[in-house]
Amino acid sequence: MNILESFKVAIASILSNKMRSFLTMLGIIIGISSVITIVSIGKGGQSAITGEFNKIGVNVLEATIDTSAQINQNDYFTMNDVKNIKSRIPEVLNAAPIFQKGGVTVKVGNETKRAVVIGTNNDYNSILSVNMLYGRFISEKDVLSGRNVVIIDDISSKSLFGYVDSTGKTIKIGERSMMVSATIVGVYKSQGGAFASSFGDRMPVILYTPITFAEKMFQDDFRINQIEILVDNAKSFESASNSINRILSSAHHNKDKYKVDNLMKQLDEVNRILNIFTMIIGAIAGISLVVGGIGVMNIMLVSVTERTREIGIRKAIGATRRDILVQFLIESVIISLIGGAIGMALGILFATIIGSFLGIAPGISFLTVLIAFLFSSAVGIFFGIYPANKASKLDPIEALRYE
Amino acid sequence: MIEVKNLWKVYRTGNIEFTALKGINLFIGKGEYTAIMGPSGSGKSTLMNILGCLDRLTEGRYILNNKDVSKLTDNELARIRNREIGFVFQAFNLLPRLNALENVELPMMYAGISAWERRRRAREALAKVGLEDRMYHRPNELSGGQKQRVAIARAIVLNPSVLMADEPTGNLDTASSYEIMKIFQELNNDGTTVVMVTHEPDIAQYTKRIVMVRDGNIIEDRAVDNRITL
Repeated sequence: MNILESFKVAIASILSNKMRSFLTMLGIIIGISSVITIVSIGKGGQSAITGEFNKIGVNVLEATIDTSAQINQNDYFTMNDVKNIKSRIPEVLNAAPIFQKGGVTVKVGNETKRAVVIGTNNDYNSILSVNMLYGRFISEKDVLSGRNVVIIDDISSKSLFGYVDSTGKTIKIGERSMMVSATIVGVYKSQGGAFASSFGDRMPVILYTPITFAEKMFQDDFRINQIEILVDNAKSFESASNSINRILSSAHHNKDKYKVDNLMKQLDEVNRILNIFTMIIGAIAGISLVVGGIGVMNIMLVSVTERTREIGIRKAIGATRRDILVQFLIESVIISLIGGAIGMALGILFATIIGSFLGIAPGISFLTVLIAFLFSSAVGIFFGIYPANKASKLDPIEALRYE
Repeated sequence: MIEVKNLWKVYRTGNIEFTALKGINLFIGKGEYTAIMGPSGSGKSTLMNILGCLDRLTEGRYILNNKDVSKLTDNELARIRNREIGFVFQAFNLLPRLNALENVELPMMYAGISAWERRRRAREALAKVGLEDRMYHRPNELSGGQKQRVAIARAIVLNPSVLMADEPTGNLDTASSYEIMKIFQELNNDGTTVVMVTHEPDIAQYTKRIVMVRDGNIIEDRAVDNRITL
């Protein structure tokens, strides 16, 4: 008997017991749809994060002090380091110092919020382009004269003032009772995107100020703990990193105190974690697919027993073992494939719905669909082979006697 | 045609052995119409199953159409059942989900005959047994006699060299049995070799030769006197 006819026979048999066939498929449907949903959401999240990182900048290196080592006062970066990195390394296009301090209080009227202050200079904007909505970024003049000016993010501006464009307004910044007034000269778009909004009110205000103003404000706490460096292209990361390390070590007379990382490396790390996460949840969902497969096997075994006599008749009139095996195998594969197709459609639907709630586009790839398709047919073959083999081995005389 | 030499069949269940056939020798020539008779437990059905290539012999030789089939593989036996033997059973053994035409087409599916040709030959076979107006009926819409006629159409559709019938009238009333016997005689007249197991002496009267089996041995082998022809 040829394959096409085997398909016809199998479909007729599936249709003759519609409810049972559907319930059998349900296991596969649940398995495939949950795997597709989870994998698509995971992929979608990854590309959303990658997008955020790309916005920040691809050719950026970040020099930090290795906190796992013993740090001395003279190990901290100086403005001279920034100047040397910028002028002495050919691959480096620009460099900006950063003093970052958390746990700061911001006060507008009677309202206070927690804030992070990033003290830097005008070069920062050309390295990690800040998306200005209103006003301007820190200027060279601001830095030179240590002006009391700040740049605020749009979300905080809205929650502090009730509107986004707060340029020209005054806020108070400081620690405990030591508050200093500063004028808002610009509002930038918060880079957190979809992730930041999920923080809600706990999201701290992120302020950029001239590094010189930050130095006046925090005095003893002030130290440059980070340098952002723009290189000509990603291929220069390695050589630039080495040069940076060399310059820093010789200036500070120390060894192995600094780390030079690029943001893409951090992205890889985030993606790796997200991948593991997706795989674990996907594997848990995959278990339901195995359970579905066992359901298929169970029903096929019942079907073989029920149709023992039919098998006997078919064998008596000339069906070979292979004919019977193929007939039952095709039946279980069709059940799994139809279940897989329905599961795929539902999975894509669920992923789209959930994705729209999370604000990410689900990453439904052709590969995911192909794997789901292959996997459901593999489930059909794997869990169908035992019942089909059992059917094919039936002795025709005993099968004919079966009532 | 059919030649059996020193045929033994021993069933083993655990430590218990049961010898169903004890050295049968039998020759059935082309165009014969033979009844195998005997009380239940005599071994006549076992003999039939072996002659029909459904079962394997334990010892001896079975030559069908000049070919030794005693040592064939399962697949080779399936092919012989498909091409050279037609079966008619007491319980009809039609597939309930298929209509008459589809049931008759079934052996041709396993023979790899095209769909169009199958349909043509199945119609022809059903016409031969007088069921041209019942082709699209399912078995549960047919009478016992009609079911058995569908089974006969299925058995002869590939023109087998031998038609094997195991108590074909066992589940039928007298009128239907008569119809079936008539068809068998017609087929035999057209040259088909027929071997039929029965325990009813009046049914055996329609055949040409009676082989009596008892306790695994042939105890009598004679031509039928006063044969009934229809």
